[in-house]
Amino acid sequence: MTDVKTPPEPRTVVPVDPARRTEIDKQRVPMSARPYRLLALVKQDAVVRVQKEPDDTVMTWPHLLSIEFLAGALMSIFLLMMGLFVNAPLEALANSNVTPAVAKAPWYFLGLQELLSYFHPTVAGVMVPTFVLVGAALIPYVDRGNLAATRPSQRKTAVVLFSMFCALGLIVTFVGIFFRGPGYAFVIPYLNTDGLHFSL
Amino acid sequence: MSFLERVDQSIRRSVVWRSLFRQPYPNDERSRAYAVMNNVFLHIHPVRVRQHAVKFAYTFCLGGLSFFLFLVLTVTGVYLMFFYVPSATQAYSNILSIQSEVAFGLLTRNIHRWAAHLMVFFVFLHMMRVFYHGAYKPPREFNWVVGVVLLFVTLMLSFTGYLLPWDQIAYWAITIGTNMGGYAPLLNTPTKLILLGGLEVGQNTLLRFYVLHIMFFPLVAAIFLAVHFWRIRKDGGISGPL
Repeated sequence: MTDVKTPPEPRTVVPVDPARRTEIDKQRVPMSARPYRLLALVKQDAVVRVQKEPDDTVMTWPHLLSIEFLAGALMSIFLLMMGLFVNAPLEALANSNVTPAVAKAPWYFLGLQELLSYFHPTVAGVMVPTFVLVGAALIPYVDRGNLAATRPSQRKTAVVLFSMFCALGLIVTFVGIFFRGPGYAFVIPYLNTDGLHFSL
Repeated sequence: MSFLERVDQSIRRSVVWRSLFRQPYPNDERSRAYAVMNNVFLHIHPVRVRQHAVKFAYTFCLGGLSFFLFLVLTVTGVYLMFFYVPSATQAYSNILSIQSEVAFGLLTRNIHRWAAHLMVFFVFLHMMRVFYHGAYKPPREFNWVVGVVLLFVTLMLSFTGYLLPWDQIAYWAITIGTNMGGYAPLLNTPTKLILLGGLEVGQNTLLRFYVLHIMFFPLVAAIFLAVHFWRIRKDGGISGPL
């Protein structure tokens, strides 16, 4: 008795009802055609996958440029209005023999001038501004606690210290602007004196 | 096609126009990218920016407006330079004639003055904004240092300009300011002599402050501004989001 190798029955592809053919059906190739051979199995990990971060960017034109243009335009209008309606101060010709009632530094240095009335000029006029500028430049090299922390709630020490420093600077500047009258003496603004002793 | 549209078309198709702009009006992503990349003034920006960076409430445009004010001050300052001689005998009368005789002289001087105060103010605010966002943290440490230098340069620009009108406010404010330099430990006498060019505020001081104001500090500011902007790009754009 010999095994008679019966030839395999030819594969038949059941045709899909043309009315129900989907996109996948259209691409389906009959298995008998064998257009491919299995060469190897590749594990998922070995496939190089491009790490694509979620795209949270927008085009510079128009999203950024329109904002910049608007800010510049509004600032131009503001400057034009200021230039038209408020004149820059100009007093009498400089005269080294006539000392004005009170001589004040520009507002951004008035805090230092205010400190001059409490401390020796070497401290208020030289050491404080030097320490402020050098100290400010050193902030990123001193604040090394938690480099990832950017929210104010995560870096309370830095925020509180900086805010206190800003408040201090604001207070001495305000006192210098509003509460200092002739001879740099303490005055209450608009009380017993002719207005503010300050010009921009 | 209306008449205006035909004029518009013929301008855009002309040889001159196409030699100026290498791509059509930026309407799609590709031409918008080219518009930023191919323009010498716009290519300070990257083609794309992070979404939080364009929110007004993140930057309040403070740094950009400081730079804008610097440009306004440059333009108005150059105009004023045509009519101003840094001489103790002429400076004050020059200011008077700028205000009364020069075309738009008063307006230009006013804008120059207010923009100068505003620039100092905005630089302070910009610095505070950057601090509260922790934007000086790595990799942006050095850009913060550049920013501190720019703050110093801004203050010096404003301070040296303060003397130029040569009126009583200017004279006595600078006298007080430079008196402080006279108290510098060890270097007191030389510091004051170098600042004033003499024992008190006079012609030499005016010339020194003028040169510092119109040439030296603007050049220093321009160099540090270039580094400041360059490093924003190199440090990966502006910081955040919080």
